[in-house]
Amino acid sequence: MVAVQPIGEEISQETDNLLSVTGLKKHFGGVKALDGVSFSLKPGEVHALVGENGAGKSTLIKVLSGVFPFDAGEIILDGAPYTPANPHNAKTHGVQVVHQEFNLLDHLSVAENISIEAMPKTRLGLLDRKEMNRRARVALDAIGLRDVDVRATVQSLGIAHRQLIEIARALQSESTILILDEPTATLTERETKRLFEIVQSIKAKGVTIVFVSHHLNEVFAICDRVTIFRNGKTITTEEISDTTPTGVVRHMVGRKLAEEMEHGIEPHARGDVALGIKDLCVTQNPHDAGISFDLHYGEVLGIAGLVGAGRTELLRGIFGIDPLRSGTIERDGIPVKFSGPRDAIAAGIGFVTEDRKDEGLILEMPIAANISLANMHNVSASGLLRFFKEKQQAREGGKRLKLKYGKITDPASSLSGGNQQKVVLAKWLARNPKILILDEPTRGVDVGAKAEIYAILKGLVREGVALLIVSSEMPELMTLSDRILVLADHQVKGALERSEFSEENILKLAYGQNTNAEGIS
Amino acid sequence: MAEQSDVLAEPTGRDFSIRSIINNAGIGLALLGLILFFSIFTEHFLNPNNITNILTQITINLILAVGMTFVILVGGIDLSVGSVMAFAAVVAGKAITLPGFGPTEVILLACIAAVTAGFVCGLLNGLITSYWALPSFIITLGMLNIARGAALHVSDAQTIYSFPFAFEEFGSAQIYGVPVVFLVALALVLLAWFVLNRTVFGRLLYGIGNNEEAVRLAGHPVFWYKVAAFTICGLTAGIAAVVYMARLNIASPIAGIGFELNAIAAVIIGGTSLSGGRGSVIGTLLGAFIIGVLANGLILIGLSDFMRQMITGVVIIIAVILDYYRARYAKK
Repeated sequence: MVAVQPIGEEISQETDNLLSVTGLKKHFGGVKALDGVSFSLKPGEVHALVGENGAGKSTLIKVLSGVFPFDAGEIILDGAPYTPANPHNAKTHGVQVVHQEFNLLDHLSVAENISIEAMPKTRLGLLDRKEMNRRARVALDAIGLRDVDVRATVQSLGIAHRQLIEIARALQSESTILILDEPTATLTERETKRLFEIVQSIKAKGVTIVFVSHHLNEVFAICDRVTIFRNGKTITTEEISDTTPTGVVRHMVGRKLAEEMEHGIEPHARGDVALGIKDLCVTQNPHDAGISFDLHYGEVLGIAGLVGAGRTELLRGIFGIDPLRSGTIERDGIPVKFSGPRDAIAAGIGFVTEDRKDEGLILEMPIAANISLANMHNVSASGLLRFFKEKQQAREGGKRLKLKYGKITDPASSLSGGNQQKVVLAKWLARNPKILILDEPTRGVDVGAKAEIYAILKGLVREGVALLIVSSEMPELMTLSDRILVLADHQVKGALERSEFSEENILKLAYGQNTNAEGIS
Repeated sequence: MAEQSDVLAEPTGRDFSIRSIINNAGIGLALLGLILFFSIFTEHFLNPNNITNILTQITINLILAVGMTFVILVGGIDLSVGSVMAFAAVVAGKAITLPGFGPTEVILLACIAAVTAGFVCGLLNGLITSYWALPSFIITLGMLNIARGAALHVSDAQTIYSFPFAFEEFGSAQIYGVPVVFLVALALVLLAWFVLNRTVFGRLLYGIGNNEEAVRLAGHPVFWYKVAAFTICGLTAGIAAVVYMARLNIASPIAGIGFELNAIAAVIIGGTSLSGGRGSVIGTLLGAFIIGVLANGLILIGLSDFMRQMITGVVIIIAVILDYYRARYAKK
């Protein structure tokens, strides 16, 4: 079983790369998804690709697996130029991807899913069910999944098992390179451990593994080398043994953001309670108990939790978007009822939503019109629009947020993700809100804009604004927050003060006692 | 890259309308082409009488299409305008033939009755569609039947006629060959343009058509804005009813069958997107002209009414295909 396979002979020290990518570029319209990517894979290594969302990892994987063609650059696989025309072509070259989102057919059996690419046939051309099940068994045994019945439907399995079945399917055909795109995103700690054992055993068979992850501790646990992406470029490749997580983060985010993040939020005065939430139950909450907390002026309260913990639902409930089942909201100590966003806005609250394309912006409308959307009274008189005022407001807002745009009347869709997010911020800041609620404020935003958004938010807190921030990025929460509430299953599992901040503490609370339920689902 | 155009656009402050003019340029050129074609290939097309004729013929469609533009801009559709027009006409016809009033009074009464009837139907369309978030296609299809039935019921399925002379006079009056009723329609177009481009209300209608949720989350009462769009559409059906009565001197319960489709066609040919949020009432004006000029010109050229209908259909399809490319171009 210990197989360091065909490599042995022709290896000199430097030119032994299985795959080498140089100067790879891929543009989508004006967006440079890949803007000069270079890296190489040594046979039999586990190679991590890390970088922020939108840094280019996913695009690179799609190029390598034949989903997109590339615009410029060169890929050499096994000493020959490699330009996969489609995913099937990539597979015949031995490049397999296990995607982040599952590509399984829920109602079919495990065996059917594993053989989906090449179903075995009998001599009459009918499906050879026996052979199919046999092959599936072999594939599952190979990755140690002896306890899964190949005839079970995928639907009946937990998330973790589905992930492993994807891997089994990918390994079934002869692969030389296996790309795992965020394989641990939905796994619990225990399941992750199992996955890592499997990765090690695959590695031992001589398969080269590309591991994409947001969790640096995982990268440091199982990888040999790491390549860091930022804004569509590869920054550097390092031996894991020569670097540290802090060093990798610095490369990931760039100097400017690293400074913003290291400084955290400076000590500042905490004011009175701006928003008192008492036993608030959203309709999706399955429990009787609700959520309670106080948000003070000049305070940043972060809300952490896994997907499905009820974070966005909580924010929508507070802002009056969705009806509440029970509970009270106090604004400056006075009980209030928001029957819609209009009331919440009138009470001095702004809400930067998670999804700027569907909820935050009107993409086809001008930047200026988007900024005035929540500020019609500023740019109109007796119902008539004052275009001059509208542009003035937009320019001032743009200046304050360092918005980069062509013309203030260009459609919002002409902007990059980071600048679109700034437009959403500008829309609310023009109202001078007393409380600003932000749901994933930097999702899909490049690192430069991220640093700027952090600086803006810190500035707001200094002015005494109360911020309520939901984010899935723990470093972001730990940078910005004074306190972090951790939610799981629509309940507050704990509150952490600044001195107690660590990813480990947050995750412990986020998984709570529900680890089992989460994993097996 | 946009630096120079920035300078150009700055002082005028009207890039909204400049953009809409560019958007409309294609439709305008198409209309110009049609006019040129018919002027060359038919003898009487440019005859002043024929022009007056065309203007008279497109008036009612134009009025209905102005209201339809509001509804389509918020992503809805109103199939009931033809029936609502008939219903409003019959109600107004009843009012105008009331005994014991002077001519000015009954005319006023009739106008109020027609506009009120249209208003109520539009309001109902809007309330029901918005409250239950139902497809306006179905609700207004229901209203189409309700209004038609009501028109037949109120009139006992009889055509109402013999209106005051002053009313007929208004219907056939001309100023330098331009029918007064057409001027009414044109005034509505200008008013609608002003509302859509210069008021907060209009801006938010565009916003709702593009992204209703974003407008709602910005604290605007989206519900009432949508109701207002449908109500405006009903109102224009009421106004169309008055014009129709004045022109033909009758109020028939079976008037206006299929008028909703012509109105929708004018809006779509005019470049307003059926999914809402994009388009202009100036485009609608041009769209109504294209339909009117085609109808008139094809008859002059000697084509049968059937052929004319086929060609109008082809034009609608071409307009939508062009709109598809325009949307793709705009995305780039």
